[in-house]
Amino acid sequence: MTTAATREVTMPDSDSDRGRPRLLARLRRSMSIGNASALYLFVLLFILFALWEPATFLTVQNWQVLLDNQAISGLVAVGLIAPLSAGVIDLAVGSEAGFGGILVAWLLADHGVPIPLAILISLIAGGLVGVVMAVLITRARIPSLITTLAASSILIAVIDWISGSQQILNLGTSFQDIATNELFGVTYPVYILAAVSLIVWYFLERTALGRRVRATGGNVEAARLSGIRTARMILLATITCGVIAALAGVLASSQLATGDPTISQSYLLPAFAAVFLGSTQFQGGRFNVVGTLVAVVVLAVGVKGLQLAGAPVWLPDLFNGVALLAAVGFAQYQRSPTARTAAIRRVLRLRLGERSAPA
Amino acid sequence: MTAGRPVPPPDELARRRPLLRVSHLSKTFIGTKALDDVSLEVAAGEVVAIVGQNGSGKSTLVKLLAGIHQPDPGGAIEVSDGSGRLVPLGRDGSGLHFIHQDLGLLPMLSTTENLDLGRPLGRRWITPLHRNAEHARAAELTRRFGAAIDVRAPVAQLSPAERAIVAIARALDGWQHPDNVLVLDEPTTAFHRDEVSRLFDAVRRVAAEGAGIIFISHRLDEVRALADRVLILRDGRQVAESAGGELDDASLVTAIVGTSVAEGPPTAAATGPVVLSVDALRGRHVHGLTLSVRAGEVVGLSGVLGSGREDLNALIFGAQRPTSGEITVAGNRLPPGDMVTAIERGAAFVPADRHRHGAVMTMSMRENLTLPGLRGLPRRFGAIRMSAESDEARRWARQVELRPPAPDRPLSTFSGGNQQKVVLAKWLRTSPRLLLLDEPTQGVDVGAKAAIYRLVQQAAAQGSAVLVASSDAKELATLCGRVLLVDQGQVTGELTGAALTETALAHAALTAAPTGRAPREESAS
Repeated sequence: MTTAATREVTMPDSDSDRGRPRLLARLRRSMSIGNASALYLFVLLFILFALWEPATFLTVQNWQVLLDNQAISGLVAVGLIAPLSAGVIDLAVGSEAGFGGILVAWLLADHGVPIPLAILISLIAGGLVGVVMAVLITRARIPSLITTLAASSILIAVIDWISGSQQILNLGTSFQDIATNELFGVTYPVYILAAVSLIVWYFLERTALGRRVRATGGNVEAARLSGIRTARMILLATITCGVIAALAGVLASSQLATGDPTISQSYLLPAFAAVFLGSTQFQGGRFNVVGTLVAVVVLAVGVKGLQLAGAPVWLPDLFNGVALLAAVGFAQYQRSPTARTAAIRRVLRLRLGERSAPA
Repeated sequence: MTAGRPVPPPDELARRRPLLRVSHLSKTFIGTKALDDVSLEVAAGEVVAIVGQNGSGKSTLVKLLAGIHQPDPGGAIEVSDGSGRLVPLGRDGSGLHFIHQDLGLLPMLSTTENLDLGRPLGRRWITPLHRNAEHARAAELTRRFGAAIDVRAPVAQLSPAERAIVAIARALDGWQHPDNVLVLDEPTTAFHRDEVSRLFDAVRRVAAEGAGIIFISHRLDEVRALADRVLILRDGRQVAESAGGELDDASLVTAIVGTSVAEGPPTAAATGPVVLSVDALRGRHVHGLTLSVRAGEVVGLSGVLGSGREDLNALIFGAQRPTSGEITVAGNRLPPGDMVTAIERGAAFVPADRHRHGAVMTMSMRENLTLPGLRGLPRRFGAIRMSAESDEARRWARQVELRPPAPDRPLSTFSGGNQQKVVLAKWLRTSPRLLLLDEPTQGVDVGAKAAIYRLVQQAAAQGSAVLVASSDAKELATLCGRVLLVDQGQVTGELTGAALTETALAHAALTAAPTGRAPREESAS
């Protein structure tokens, strides 16, 4: 290159240029449409369905059920943030949840293992799945997409093998209580989701460890050359995801009072849709916990409202698929301000060029 | 188009016919004039060489010809339309054919398949290909250029010169009419010396068929061997144009480098203890290299691509794993390929490619700054104290004159120069004993360049040992107190004091023998 790379983008200067941003200005900026579009979308959906189906949509019970139902898929989504932040596209996250759910049911019903031990074993098994995937990704250098896709298929085979493709029943009432007992009107999984979210948020956003994980996901070579042991970061992220997904699976089995070998599929896409839609929120294009939680609720409200309005059963799948595409498309657009301004400049230059061309 | 076709001129006249005319071409990028009023004419059967240092405007000229950039108003590029008339260059760049350094071949496909890629297959896309006919055609095409190659073998198995010939054959194959100009952009970088002549034979055959050739190279012996005329660019301007045989090496070098070489401030003489010592180091492109750098010293590494110059810093830092040899920093041995230990012992490495290796563009300036030294940040309950980190980021933003001084912006939104300043700052923040720099000002504007030089010299003044690998002779002459000449993976000479001038460095680099090692894809892994 003979020329200075002059691709600087002139964005409206934020007040962080001079000292610390004032709280009010910061709040206003973080609540802007571009930064928190999901919140506005939520308001929009809320108004829409409140007018459409006021009798069912506006009941307290509706919202309790919605939270209870979404706690488990929210948990899967929060777990997925860790590997995605580290640059690992974990397509096995749904199967990891399914595996945890079937394993705990199998231990309880077929082997009479005490509840705490059965849960512990399931969580450890989930973590081990993460270890194996990290080793394949970092040591065998198989791309994460392939590793996790294959792992997902293998896990589904294991699930069917353990369960004999049958539902596992008779898990015991005290196990069912875990996911169905209520505190202040909502079930325990909601609190578990809140606690796990807080922990993941703290590590990812506040600690040096989280910074290293995100650097690994941002540019693995640059992270490595900055002295970060990137393989360890990937290992940590996949273990975290494996454990959290297994926990979600355990809660699902508890909620259904059944070890269901077919639940894997239903957690994969909603989790991806939520995390990617969440990444467009608050943090300017990075995977983040708060955005993910907001996205989980927004997507759930969308699905719920449509269901109440009598939409067909295939609609949630359609909704989640479209939402994932829209979220990623929007994230790409948002993430590349250079591409955007370049496009504008191209148009402007074309106009200017026409004008300045000799007649 | 209604005018009658001109009578075909006599043969001698046909060879003088201009195929490409570039007049008063300029290109301004924000802040810099990359190309300034360059005019050029290429006639049929003529080979015109364009030479110049890094930053002289060669690449800009090529990109203008290729239509990647638009020239400033007032300049014009005209090409022959096949009937002897010159018409403005169309947006599709027809009439001009480019062979770039990387050739644009698909290595896993055979010669035949590569040749077919450039050809419209018409309606045959659904019918089976006639394989034998295709192979025979490909073999005939490449034989025209003196290459007897197995057209069924993947091009990855061919020698660099054979690959270049395949690329030329492919470009030629697509020609609609004989009035064409072939632009060869540093085609011989990856060549063995004895292979260069094979390519040159092929190029002469193309010229003999009536095409015009633009040949861009930094090797003066090649330029003199091949070119009918030489155009010399310096700082974007056309400084000389002469017939190929007229110039000797010395006058070419003077024309390329210029006579008014401004020498930088002489770096303080090295007085500190030895910080880095490298003994018999071996690794990719490095073959038993020995050197030492003292505290406070800025030492340059000069050498052509493939000489080992571009690998040495990565080997010392551990980004590439050396096969043998000993590296010590301040008396401590560095284990091979262990960057974490290298950083702990005071090493810092600014790689050449900041996008791929230097920084995490999606993270903010602040987060990039503190990445190598996260352990040193003040914490509360295990969490980084954001206010302390922000204060530090602002301090460094001032220190390196970051524009705009907004540490919380994603690094991708800064200009190249400011990004590079951040990459440098993140290592200066760790107070390194040893600072390893690869092409520290590549793709950086003039202002940022000055700031980077100042920061590097400050670091040296504070006792860092600095090793700079650069392909920019001016940079080495300005920045370094001592420059090591690297060739064939070893140190073959040293320039220091009054002998260390841009001219001397350029002369050493321009007359170095080709190393014969293909530059693989640049990678720190």
